[in-house]
This record gives sequence, structure tokens and C-alpha cells, in this order.
Amino acid sequence: MGLREPAWRVTARELESSLEEEKGEGDRPATYLLSPFAARMNRVLLAGTLSPAESIGRDEAQAFWRARLSDPTGAVAVTGGSFQPRAMAQLRSASAPRPAIVVGKVHLYRGRDGVGYVSVRAEAVRSVAEAEERAALADIVRQTLDRLDLIERVEKEPDLSEESLRSQGVPPAWVRAAKESRNRYPNVDRPAFRRELANAVRRVAGESGPSRATLPTPPTVVVTRAPPPRPPAPPPSAAERAEESLFLDQLEEVADVSADGYADLKEILARLSAHGLPGERAEAILNRLEEDGTIEEPIVGKLRRA
Amino acid sequence: MATSPVTAEPTPSNPVETRLRDLRPDVSPVELIARVVTFERRDVTRRSDGSRRPLVSGLLSDGTATVRFTWWDPPREGIERGLVLRAVGAEVREFRGRPEVTFSWKTRVGPASPAELPRVDAGDLPFRTVGELRPSDEGFRVEARVVRVAPKSVTVGTERRVVHEGLVADRTGAIALSAWSDFGLKAGEAVRIAGGYVRGFRGRPQLVLDERTTVVRVEGTDLPDPAQLLTAPPRSIADVEAEGGGEAVAVEGVVVGLLPPSGLVFRCPTCQRSVRSGICRVHGQVNGQPDLRARIVLDDGTGALTVNASRADTERLWGVTLEEAEARLRNQPDPSLLEEQMLETLLGRRLRVRGVGTSDDFGVTLAPESIERVDIDLDAAAEELTARLGERR
Repeated sequence: MGLREPAWRVTARELESSLEEEKGEGDRPATYLLSPFAARMNRVLLAGTLSPAESIGRDEAQAFWRARLSDPTGAVAVTGGSFQPRAMAQLRSASAPRPAIVVGKVHLYRGRDGVGYVSVRAEAVRSVAEAEERAALADIVRQTLDRLDLIERVEKEPDLSEESLRSQGVPPAWVRAAKESRNRYPNVDRPAFRRELANAVRRVAGESGPSRATLPTPPTVVVTRAPPPRPPAPPPSAAERAEESLFLDQLEEVADVSADGYADLKEILARLSAHGLPGERAEAILNRLEEDGTIEEPIVGKLRRA
Repeated sequence: MATSPVTAEPTPSNPVETRLRDLRPDVSPVELIARVVTFERRDVTRRSDGSRRPLVSGLLSDGTATVRFTWWDPPREGIERGLVLRAVGAEVREFRGRPEVTFSWKTRVGPASPAELPRVDAGDLPFRTVGELRPSDEGFRVEARVVRVAPKSVTVGTERRVVHEGLVADRTGAIALSAWSDFGLKAGEAVRIAGGYVRGFRGRPQLVLDERTTVVRVEGTDLPDPAQLLTAPPRSIADVEAEGGGEAVAVEGVVVGLLPPSGLVFRCPTCQRSVRSGICRVHGQVNGQPDLRARIVLDDGTGALTVNASRADTERLWGVTLEEAEARLRNQPDPSLLEEQMLETLLGRRLRVRGVGTSDDFGVTLAPESIERVDIDLDAAAEELTARLGERR
């Protein structure tokens, strides 16, 4: 029952704070992003100011556009590709920031540095009047507060059953999400997050203007790594060269079978460790190869030979 | 018993007929009197020599319960729906936790009079609440308030019949009602219904009243007010999903998408089914009549369901009439654009919908009785949210 994933009402700040993923069950399990504030999201509904989109697709045939949605708590990247042509067309249609509502699927990319970047793949986008954006924000803040209250209840009364909460109108999925949030994020400062919502409430009240979308594009999809200035390295030893060539071989093998022509870094690392090359060593080789321009990483986690 | 040549004398081991609700798989053979509710003829191929052996299978009911029956080598004629028969020496078996009866060569089967059916005294039947009723339940009494009821003319086979359809409710829930005789039911009255049965209809239980059912008006002081049921505040969609829909569902959420086909559709002039490529599933090639519809995905953050909006609702919500949509299609001959333009108007809009919810593999679908647009009072919302934030300061 309930095959369609509900659209969780969340703020950009909550998405920014979400780092934990979980696989669902069944034949084609969905992926869920767990937030520290009791959301277990596959689909979300956001409201805020949407910046004009920019194209980040390399391939004409596979257009991909990205915009930035800012609400009073933060900002998140919203992407649209040729698989959601309508949403993509909507993203592309504006040349100036505008109030908008976005429904889409959350996507977590975890960079090599361990930092997670959340973006939303738009399924539906609509420019709205400011009053509508504020009304949607009111809904978002209300449900966010409901979830924060629920976590507190679950903390205070750990024996509270799903059934008894359900009879009070709390969906069992929320109760499970609240418990899971507590497990996964034991040290999050929830009262601080709660205070941050005050900005959003001011926006609902009309006391603050539209959120500015002037911040730089969040590094959700493309990260260009600036090579750190370093003293010239000594020429590599024979052993190092052997490791480098092993790395490049694996890269090419992975790239050969990948759909987009890029090699996935995780997969390369997995293969290398099977060849007895531990993670840190592989990273060191990767850095060297990137530095001398042998390989490049146009998308975080995706490698190709230069 | 004089009417039946094959049931001349009851066997001494089974002096009394067994009521169907008292059947036990370990007590066989039995004698029973029951009415044929449904039946079908089939042939089963013998594995040994490939010869075919005829059988009749279906449902028997005596007012206390309904059970499946299998009748090996049945007579070629004379079995029909509604026939009351007496079977002596029937075998009882259990299949999937329910008793079934089998008539074999050892069983003597013959017609009986409806008067011989077990007298089901209404006073004997156990009381149930509406919330407890499940498909295939029968032989119970229930006290409920008639929320609404209206006659409807339907075609059963070749016959036109009037069925009184409605909704009854008690404090534990509501259930659809379908009465095949006129009990003179009126909305608002409290009734005690004895001898009806429950069937599953489109994934929801339905209380069926047939000619053997008795209906008595009662005081019903403990029963809910019908107005209260039809104006109940919205529930969470997660709740509605968990219950698989409901008879008087009220939900509030926002439009997060449209499902195809939404927009301009063409319907068969005879049966109103939507026509694809000019072909009706039932009536073949037809001249499709244009209609407007919206299959709205409504989401309240806890769950999502589909609302099938009629032409009138679609026109009102979208602000575009059927004629205007047709005109647009002439200028811009891509029907998917209409759906897109509709979504452009509806996405994010807050709606409160009441109606009948049914469920299938794709979730809950609501056939709306009313769709209202809800506008949030921003000042009140801001005040409420500020107060909630302030509690923790």
C-alpha cells in the first residue's frame, strides 16, 4: 500500500543537514535520505526563491540544468534533466529569480572528502505568487515543527507505540523516521535548528522579503578541484609508476563499461583494494595523476583520462 | 420433503440438518439445506485415462454462512441460481482455513422448499459493529445510522433492477450499503439489520441486503449524526492509505502532480469508458465524445492519493472549459500540452476533498463528492507558528 512516496515538507536547511541514506525494501528499492529532524525522504516539496537555471550538461542530447532554490533557512540545488522534460523546461524558463514551488526526488552525493551534497531532481516546478510561496512555507514549517515535537516525545517516552501514536493522527512512517533520526544523528542540536525556523516564520508573516538567490551555485554536482600549491615532487619511483599504471588500467576498464564514459571513483577504489592497494595509497596516486594532468575529475567522483 | 424423491429418509446418523455456520471439517458426512448463490459448470480431465468428468462448483448459503461447494457428476439440468437443495451425506473439507462441502456419488442431492431452510431467527444472530465487518461475513446483526441512500437502476444480465445504494455508519465506522429489495430506508434513520451479508466491492467491504434480510427501525441514541459523518475534519492521507480508502473520506493536501490521462479525453458514447485510438474496450470503433478530466495526485506530506476529478470539477479548478480546451487543441494540436498547462495552474494548490476511497495496487483513488480550494490565512499561520516556536524559548 502507498506505492507513491509522499512529498516531505522540508526546508533547505534540513536538506543541507541530511547525510544519512537508507535503502527501502522490495524489488526496486527506493533510496531514502534521513534527516536529523525525523524526515525519511525520497520525494520532497520545497518553496522559496528559484534562481535562473544554468546548463551543466556536456551532451546536447542529454540536457541537464541546475538552479538554486533559496528559502529563509538555506539553499539547495535543483536539477532537471531530459528525463523530466517538463520540469527542465520550467527550470529553464526564467531569466530572473522568482518565487516557486518544487516537487522532486532527493539525491545525496557524498564527495571524497566525506562531505555530502544534497540536490533535488525536479519532477514538477511552478512559479507562484509570493502569497502562495509563503503559504507553502507555512505548511513546511508546520510539518517540520510537528516532526521536531515528535522526536521530543519519542525521546521522553521511548515506549510509546506506533499504534497509540497512530490513533493520535501521527503516521507510523513518521514515528519510524523519528526513531531512526535519533539513532543516526545522536548529537545534533535540534533546539538550534528549531530557532533557525524563526526566519522562515518571519517570511510567512511577510516580515522579510524573498530569499536572495545570489549565493554562488552550491557544489552539488560539479566541483572543480583547485590543485593545491605544492613543491615539485621528486620523480616517482618504479614502484609508484607501477601503481600508477595499475590505477590507469582500472580507470580505463571501468570507463569502458560505464554509460557516460566516466569511471566511477568508488568502483576504481574497490577494484584497487582487490588488487591489494589500500584506499589512502590509491588516493595519493589519484592526487598525483590529477596534479600532473594525466586524469581529470570533471564531476566529483567521476574520472576520465585527460 | 415430499417434493424431493431423493431425500426420502434422513439417515439415522444425521438426524438433523447442519447449519452452514456449524460445519466442521472433522464432522462428515452431514445433511444440509441451502440455496445455490452462484455456480459454474466445468470439466476436469482425469489423469488416468484422459476422460472428462463434469462438475459444478459455486457458493451455497443458508442464511447462517456461505460456503463453497463442489458437486461431482451433477445432473445435466435443473441447477440454477436460487435453487434450494437438500444434500444428505455431503463431505466437509477444509480449504484455506474455511470449510467446503463436496457432493459425491455417496451424496443424495435433491430440491427442497425455501420454507425448509433453517429458520434464522434474527434474535439468534450475534451483534457486530460496522468496524468489524469483513467480506464474506454473514449471519449477524448490526445497528447503524443510514447516512444516505438512493435508488439506482442497474442491468443484471438482461434484467433491469433497482438497487438502493447508500452508506450506513455506527461509532466504529461506515460501510457502503446495497439493498436489492426496497426496505424504505431513509437518510438519518437508525436501523437494526439482520441477515445481510458482506461482500468485497472494488477493494472495499459492502453490506448487502437481500430479500431474506430484515430491517427494523430503532432508537439509535448511540449512533452518530449523519451530518457529523459527512462533515468530519480531514484525516491524514497515511491513515486513509492504511485503511485502503473508506466510504466517507475527507483529506486535505496539495496538488503535486497529474496522472495521465488528464486533460481532454474522449469517451465512448454508450458506456463512458475512455476511448483509445477511437476504439472502446467494449463497443469497438466508436465516435468518442470529448470530456475533460483531471487525475490529481494529492499529497499532504504523510501520503499521496489520486483524485479523479469530473469535468465540472476540472473546469472549475483549472478555469478552462471543455470548449476552450478543444479550441486550444485546434491551435496547438498536442494533447499533452493541455495536461501540462493544467498542471501549471494546479501544482501546489491546496485542496480539501471528500469522497469514496477505493484502493488497488497503485494506492488509493478518491471518487470525489466535493473538492474545495483551501486558502491558508497567512497571518493566522504566522501567529500560530510563532507561538509554537516561542514555547521553547
